[in-house]
Amino acid sequence: MSDSAKLSHTAALILQTVENGCSYGFDIMDETGLPSGTVYPALRRMESDGLIASQWEPEKKAQAEQRPVRKYYRVTREGLHVLEQSQKRYPLLAKLTSKSRR
Amino acid sequence: MPSPARRPLAVVLSDWIVAVAALLTPKAQRSDWKREWRAEIWHRWQFLWHARMWSRHEKLALVRGTLGAFQDAAWLLKSHEAFWQDVREWARSPFTCFGALGVLLLVTTMLSGGLPATRELLSARSNLLFIWIHPSGGGHDKGLPPDLVPAWERYSRQVAKVAAFQIGRAVADQPLLVTVQPEFFDVIGVKPALGTLPRQGAVVLDDRAWRSLTHANPAAAGSSLKVGGDSHKIAAVLPPNFWILSRQPTVYVVQREITKGLVFAVARPKPGVTQRQLDKELVRIAQEVCYYFLDSQLRYAAWTNVLLTPLRLFGIAVALAGLMAPLVFRFRLRAFRLAATRRTLFFIAKATLALAWVFAACLELSRSESAILLGSKDPGDGPFLVWLYILGAMGVLFWAVADQRARCRVCLRLLAFPVRVGCPGCLLLDWSGTELFCSEGHGILHVPHMAPSWDEEDERWISLDESWQGLFASGK
Repeated sequence: MSDSAKLSHTAALILQTVENGCSYGFDIMDETGLPSGTVYPALRRMESDGLIASQWEPEKKAQAEQRPVRKYYRVTREGLHVLEQSQKRYPLLAKLTSKSRR
Repeated sequence: MPSPARRPLAVVLSDWIVAVAALLTPKAQRSDWKREWRAEIWHRWQFLWHARMWSRHEKLALVRGTLGAFQDAAWLLKSHEAFWQDVREWARSPFTCFGALGVLLLVTTMLSGGLPATRELLSARSNLLFIWIHPSGGGHDKGLPPDLVPAWERYSRQVAKVAAFQIGRAVADQPLLVTVQPEFFDVIGVKPALGTLPRQGAVVLDDRAWRSLTHANPAAAGSSLKVGGDSHKIAAVLPPNFWILSRQPTVYVVQREITKGLVFAVARPKPGVTQRQLDKELVRIAQEVCYYFLDSQLRYAAWTNVLLTPLRLFGIAVALAGLMAPLVFRFRLRAFRLAATRRTLFFIAKATLALAWVFAACLELSRSESAILLGSKDPGDGPFLVWLYILGAMGVLFWAVADQRARCRVCLRLLAFPVRVGCPGCLLLDWSGTELFCSEGHGILHVPHMAPSWDEEDERWISLDESWQGLFASGK
């Protein structure tokens, strides 16, 4: 991301939530209260910017538990750097989300 | 707690929403995208079920949350470069030009309620004639002496039916008042939609007058109406699509005889009677009633001609625009070689479709103003449509030529990737202008910033052979 300081408050909130351990879209929606139409496009944009990375869970594990395979998101090193900058820019960001899932 | 055997309706509905939204996503990403959304929905349901929180509220929240799949899919589509390239290619295509004109015609048809004025014009078949006097010494049109029409009715062998009518003075925001003889409706061949046609001392409303004056009261026939200071009984209401003298709301006051002022006549000649034969007979009868001055002064307007007037006006406007075109554009005859047939056909088809749209749209727009029967009495009626047509025809011609020049000479796609070359202020007598490329690699168009007087050709097209096409994005 060329200009990381320009991450919007909503995007920073989602990034913070992913960093806190919410790895799935619906969990992020629960945690942030944002609608899915905001969360998913934001996740995809941040993924294309290299701030988060997505990964499908192992298929065997899901098959053994008889459930569909899930895609989860994690914050990249660059994402952590941008998050730090965003926390300086939005001081209340860390307080808005709990670290309970971590 | 065991999982339910069947998926609940909220989950089925959410899956269905995802399936529909997936149609928006680029094909390459569609499968993964659907998989992610469906897995999220499934896990959400299972979590809530096992946590004993699968309530009605949560079901609604799941469906509402899934609706965001449309925004997600739209975002994916928007950020997909191949999609935008397809959109750009589509916009440049010559077929898009026809599509856009088709959409314009469709929108005009919908807005006007099915092009009623244009359809009326296309189905114009009637032998009705309107008759009045145009003084041979010049001056305005004027009506006939009122005792002349009964004489024509009694003695003419060439007229099947004739009736007199008198148009009242137009008052703003008031319906047009027309005094007619009872035979008027029989001559023009209209039957009432409500009530019965009167013989004396009552009024007949056309549909627009009925809607505006009685608020479309179905029991209006028999009630009284104050028109022009007098109270009249409403005897009948005419059918919805009927109009004859004006498209404005019209109230017909029926009088057995019109004795005051000058009148106009509406006649239906017998089959096979020419206008010349009719004129000869009507003038003879007029002379027998002591009106000796009518020779070559009677004017006839065939109803079909009145309806077809917009078509003639449009022809004049197109001819005018065509005459002005060589003054504005430099046409080269070699552009019409056999090799350029495709381009010429495209130009003709495009201009014809655009002109058809202008014709219909202007006619529909000026519908209430374009009843130009007795137009010389009201100069505001005809010229409005004429000016609309002149402006429309010129606009179409200018657009068609400009659009044609901005297209590839081979594939007729719009040229793209404009590049400015040179600087008119820096390089004296050196070429400066804009270069445009065909996205398929067929050639380059040089458009100079200033066309020098010694150079006849202001634009230059350079054809590129097939070896160049690999360099272009859509050359594949």
